[in-house]
Amino acid sequence: MLKKLWKFLSSMQFAIILLLILIAACAVGSFIPQGQPYEWYAAAYSERSAALIVASYLDDVYHSWWFLLITGFLCFNLLLCNIVRLPQILRRVKSFKDPESVDSVPVTVSAEDIEDPEAVFRAMGMPKPVKTQKEGRGVLFSASRTIGFWGAWVCHIGILLLILGFGLGQMTHQEYSVYGVAGQTKAVADTNYLLSIDDFTVDLRDDDTVEQYTAAITVRNAATGEKASSEISVNNPATLLGLKCYQNSTGWAAAVTVFKGSEELQKEVLCAGEYMSVEDMPGLAVYFNAFYPDYVLVDGVGPATASSKLVNPAYLYTVYYQDQVIGMNALEGDETIKIDDYEVKFSDPQNYTVIQIKRDRFTSLALIGGITTMLGLILAFYFQPRKLWAVKEEGRGWTVSGLCQKGGVLFAEQFREAAGTDKEEQNAES
Amino acid sequence: MLKAENTLFTIVMLLYFASMILYFVFIAVKKDKIAKAAELVQTVAFVLHTAALVCRGIGAGRLPMTNQYEFATSFAWGLCLVSLIFIWKFKFPMLGAFTAPVIFLIIGYAAMQSKEVHELMPALRSNWLGFHVSTAIIAYGAFGVSFVLSLIFLLRDKMKDTGFWDKHVPSKEKLDIISYRSVSLGLLFLSFTIITGAIWAERAWGSYWSWDPKETWSLITWLVYAVYLHLRIRRGWKGRAAAIFAVVGFVCVIFTYIGVNTLIPGIHSYA
Repeated sequence: MLKKLWKFLSSMQFAIILLLILIAACAVGSFIPQGQPYEWYAAAYSERSAALIVASYLDDVYHSWWFLLITGFLCFNLLLCNIVRLPQILRRVKSFKDPESVDSVPVTVSAEDIEDPEAVFRAMGMPKPVKTQKEGRGVLFSASRTIGFWGAWVCHIGILLLILGFGLGQMTHQEYSVYGVAGQTKAVADTNYLLSIDDFTVDLRDDDTVEQYTAAITVRNAATGEKASSEISVNNPATLLGLKCYQNSTGWAAAVTVFKGSEELQKEVLCAGEYMSVEDMPGLAVYFNAFYPDYVLVDGVGPATASSKLVNPAYLYTVYYQDQVIGMNALEGDETIKIDDYEVKFSDPQNYTVIQIKRDRFTSLALIGGITTMLGLILAFYFQPRKLWAVKEEGRGWTVSGLCQKGGVLFAEQFREAAGTDKEEQNAES
Repeated sequence: MLKAENTLFTIVMLLYFASMILYFVFIAVKKDKIAKAAELVQTVAFVLHTAALVCRGIGAGRLPMTNQYEFATSFAWGLCLVSLIFIWKFKFPMLGAFTAPVIFLIIGYAAMQSKEVHELMPALRSNWLGFHVSTAIIAYGAFGVSFVLSLIFLLRDKMKDTGFWDKHVPSKEKLDIISYRSVSLGLLFLSFTIITGAIWAERAWGSYWSWDPKETWSLITWLVYAVYLHLRIRRGWKGRAAAIFAVVGFVCVIFTYIGVNTLIPGIHSYA
């Protein structure tokens, strides 16, 4: 029973079943939006479907226990398959290259009465044949591309390394996001690192589209005092003190100043989507909804921007007092918000940058896995083991035979062409 | 340059159509001269198609592989390239008769897309774009050829006029092997596509695999062809079952290209 189970777990049949389940799971995961809350599914489908989706983890297919279990089984199957096949491949390579095996192997194609067998070997692109004797007969033997026997084995190892690298990376990677405007320094989450945004520029083309986002940054280890600086842009990340920093995205920020009479009480730089509590008046907060660099009011749409250029800046804000909305509008130019004795002014619009910081020690392992998989595929597809042997028959010419593990028909065609027997066949037909 | 590309594209589309019609006429009247003419027209169309893509590249100032139109026309070009290579390598001129309608359909789809040239967003301004998309073009072309070969395989028994079909279409055994060669080429290049895409995504977004629908469907396509390869070496499944999987694989290719872009938005939505 245990032996049967072991055999099944390492079988190709089991691999095919797992691959089919993975195909179905991936397809389902691509159709059902992932990572949404229950309410979203209830609104998009129905309460019953939402309950089913959440209960069966279809809202997070790729991290669900059953998906990981199937992937685990696939890894187990690949590993077992490779363990079982290793001695078989070693034996096969050895026997395939053994001139003694010529009488005991299947033959893909053969031709009799060949006068110059070495010419057939050459025409087939085979290495120079080994000359030997068997039972008093002269034998020429040549085997090539035996490395191809390793193709599937290497490919499986590659897939295993790829899955291992990806899985370990998912479990151990650290990922942070820091955003701010030029001149600001922020802590990288709860680490010892501080990230300073020394400069940030958005290069626009003549047609107003973005050419590139570039940030000059410095990472400092507060504990050791070490620091490193670099310029990063989209597609050009930099690794600073072991942290890989990416220019991720951007948005608009502005300076928000609170006045009481002519006295400046408070000034902060807010990114769109942030709010500021007015310290002098507990319960009062100003939320920076959005920024329009080239403000226009479009009928039926509302506030919008005509271009990305700073032509007519406007700030959309909401004022809260004790969690109640008490005002919402768009400020243009030097307009201010007046709340009793207080006045709030938005100014100095500028782009902020979002820097993504990652540390994944297993990316290289996944890359090695990918390259190994490719190597395995090349070996499996383009190094198909083949051998040719010629035996000198008593009182007759040479009988040349050939064996190709895959692509028998094509190999046989090539062989007949090399041996000149294709012409004989054509003549016989005509 | 873009004007020249536009003119060339129209000529190429007409030539592909003419080649397809000539192949149909060849099958109807069974005159070898017509098949030769069809093959010649298809080859000329391919050469002009290459010129059209070069003009597009020069006119746009970048590789012409970044939107639906550009990828569709490149896909048709890739299919024609792989088809011509297989015709030459396996001495199978009739293959052109079966790839011609598929090429025409794809280039017809390209003709329906917007030909406007847009500047690239920063994430697409990468040297990896060339590797990623050009390998995808070859992969898709090879899968297209394997799809056609598998269809011929499945229809081979229904080809009644044995004299004509036996002369122009190889045996099922040979069709199976040529189809396998085509899938091998496609799978190798699809693997290149996925790996170069992963390296690029890691540089652009900091994540080499994020289960984006396009990524997921590329993986699904890879897995379907992996099943095909395993089925081929399983006794009893070689031939028909494997051919059906090669057809299913190409359906996945088309869904990855068109279906994902239109039905499931993700980070590849611009493609």
